[in-house]
Amino acid sequence: MPNRLILGGAAAIFAAAALLFGGVFRSSTPAAATDVLPQAVAAELAKGFAAGDTQAEILGLQDELKLDRHNVKALDTLGLAYLQRVRETGDPAYYPKAQGILDEALRQSPRDLVATAGLGQLALSRHQFRKALAIGIEANRISPTTAGVYGVIGDAEIELGRYPQAINSFDHMAALKPDVASYSRVSYARELIGHIRAAERAMQLAASAAVGAQEASSWTHVQLGLLYLGHAQPRRALAQMNDALALDPTYYVALDGMAQVQASLGHLHVAVDFERNAVDRVPLPAQVAFLGDLYGAVANHTAAKHEYALIDVIEKLLAANGVRNDLDIALFDADHHIAPAHLLTLARKGHLERPSIYGDDVLAWALARSGRCNEALQWSNRALRLGTRDALKDFHHGWIEACLGNRGAAAVWYRRALALNPSFSILWAPVARKGAQA
Amino acid sequence: MKKLIAVLVAAAAFAVPVAAQAHPLGNFTINRFARLEVSGHRLYVRYVLDMAEIPTYQARQQGIDPNVYARRLARGLHVRLGSRPARLVPVEHALAFPLGVGGLHTMRFELILRGPLVSDTERLTVSDTNYSGRIGWKEILVGASTHSISNELTAYPKSLLQSPLDITSARANVAPTHDAVPGLTRGKALEAPDRVVDSGFTRLIAQGRLSALVILASLAAALFWGAAHALSPGHGKTIVTAYLIGKRGTARDAAALGAVVTVTHTIGVFALGLVTLALSQWIVPDTLYPWINLSAGVLVVAVGLSVLRARVAHVHHHHHDHDHEHPITGRSLIAVGVSGGLLPCPSALVVLLAAISLHRLAFGLVLIVAFSTGLALSITGLGLLAVFAKRTFAGRSFDGLLIRALPAVSAAVILTAGVLMTARAIPKVHA
Repeated sequence: MPNRLILGGAAAIFAAAALLFGGVFRSSTPAAATDVLPQAVAAELAKGFAAGDTQAEILGLQDELKLDRHNVKALDTLGLAYLQRVRETGDPAYYPKAQGILDEALRQSPRDLVATAGLGQLALSRHQFRKALAIGIEANRISPTTAGVYGVIGDAEIELGRYPQAINSFDHMAALKPDVASYSRVSYARELIGHIRAAERAMQLAASAAVGAQEASSWTHVQLGLLYLGHAQPRRALAQMNDALALDPTYYVALDGMAQVQASLGHLHVAVDFERNAVDRVPLPAQVAFLGDLYGAVANHTAAKHEYALIDVIEKLLAANGVRNDLDIALFDADHHIAPAHLLTLARKGHLERPSIYGDDVLAWALARSGRCNEALQWSNRALRLGTRDALKDFHHGWIEACLGNRGAAAVWYRRALALNPSFSILWAPVARKGAQA
Repeated sequence: MKKLIAVLVAAAAFAVPVAAQAHPLGNFTINRFARLEVSGHRLYVRYVLDMAEIPTYQARQQGIDPNVYARRLARGLHVRLGSRPARLVPVEHALAFPLGVGGLHTMRFELILRGPLVSDTERLTVSDTNYSGRIGWKEILVGASTHSISNELTAYPKSLLQSPLDITSARANVAPTHDAVPGLTRGKALEAPDRVVDSGFTRLIAQGRLSALVILASLAAALFWGAAHALSPGHGKTIVTAYLIGKRGTARDAAALGAVVTVTHTIGVFALGLVTLALSQWIVPDTLYPWINLSAGVLVVAVGLSVLRARVAHVHHHHHDHDHEHPITGRSLIAVGVSGGLLPCPSALVVLLAAISLHRLAFGLVLIVAFSTGLALSITGLGLLAVFAKRTFAGRSFDGLLIRALPAVSAAVILTAGVLMTARAIPKVHA
């Protein structure tokens, strides 16, 4: 009767809200699904994950639960295994399942730590950062000494632009449990404040801590590779991407990483092949946009147009699914001069929901591309306030300076961007090179 | 009474809206299904391809030639009988683009392939290499009557304990049978697989250009979807009709009821939308639904009790003049209307959220009001039907016993419905 219809609908909207791309938008979540589990369960789960066979683990747990639906531990583990499956495949079909199973665990055991933390992780994946923070704090009340919970809290704080608190959370986490999840977060925090070498060291530690767990291991290789790539070491980046793909040649995160490395080495056609493969598996807007740019760079303009049109479709789907507007799409629109009036609203809303330095930077860029360079400068300053060394953010700053007529200052920023990474963007590195000579 | 029920059933059987919903497995899956079966002495394959919105869009960018698809899918399906590879020849196919979310389409392609002759019991091996790198449901079955848990990619299981199926190869023994040659799905079933939700309405918000004409047409469509939506289960149709019959409601009462339903539903959608947007940090909206269900159930029980009480009082007074029944009180009328409109319709909520993200708030609000009005029109219509039907019966000086029993019956119907709603809501509510 009414309940079935309404509940079905509610599931369609809320539970599956970010259904489409939810979590996979976010490549910076370093949490391995295992880090909130009690040790015995974690060990059990790691066996499955280590062999890269989460699927078999899931089947076992499903069978167990078909016999006894009240086994909270099995519910917890299955919920996290579903989340892990999304990390491995990018398949959003597992989100509502994870949500349902973790909710069920909470119904049977209302203060269950694993289920609470798992739901926090899920909220992060769906870009519900404020909700994730609230859940993380709740989980922290249940157990103040569980490392993984600080991961959920810290990740949310990062995205909400609360950096001192986030760094504090990560410190707590690393002190409680030095493992792949905490090392990779420490690395990310160090990268944000511009300590590149220290960030590399922490990520190397994370990579060695992840050995044996296939997806986590592959993921840390990609992150380390991207760190190298962002700071003018494409050869070392290439080695990391090769390692990641050797572990799993179908891993979409690694395929995208490899495409970026190949593009920066000037192997544009190879880059197209890798990115095509990645996008065919999981069409994330940032990567679809990059593929379009790559097609443009190899003068395949029809294909480029197809990819850009696809972004439009993705945006429609997100809106239709009730998903929050995404900064990635605002960045794409700003890069390609699409719908300026709409662009600013999009960027402002994205920034409101994700007031991180990434949000600051996208908003600055959107303002600059709409000709409001005075306002843009303030946001760009904000985006750079942590001392992050990111070529694209430097370039944006330079472009804004140029727009304000300060050619000298612009050239300094362009040179800075190019020194960090001479091939930081297919679209903008040439612009920077031209402007740097002024 | 029988006639009355027949009329009501006929009214409810009006247009069931053609469905459109987001692809249940996510918007970028490519799902494959193959059924291998022997008809007479020949091997056949029934192959189904179900693409979600994004791959469908990409496929259409490239242009879709069904014959090319048929040949390519046949090549990608490797079948061996005994030790020899089986050549598969496309014999017929069907292509449809069921509506998906956001005004986009999904794609369903069905294909019948003819294989070689099967002379005796033979070993069959099959492996599907089509779209091997793509995420999606992958199912292979052998035998004409083997059960498909996705119903051949029309109804994906929603069980939390069922992962998307990932079967790309199979082995079995096959022998000649007397089964018929497999065929294609035809008509509506191909066009709209089993995803029946009234999201024709949700599509309205995402239209490209908004001219005056488009807005007018959209409002009319929203009205229609609302009216159609009211005919789906729930929405207190039973309760409203039972109430009006039991309380000897007038046409004016039916209209007032409709107005209350519209107002309640509109407010409900806006309130829940507000909670979703502004308070999601503290309140998780999906935990509200069980509570809303419970309050609606309790409200209906209360209405049922009041109708029953009025009836009991009536019997005690030994009135025999049933043309001067107790008038309907404003309070109980509002309670019935509120219980009918309290549950915000999910698609109205989707429209509200989409309107906000598309910066078309005003348009979205107007659409929702139109939708709620449609909803109320349907319910009022049914109410009027009940009122007039009863008048007709009364006018024919029907057997007095039946007419006199009506209020008690209607009280019982309302009470039962309320108790059922409450009983179903309680287990879902948890602190």
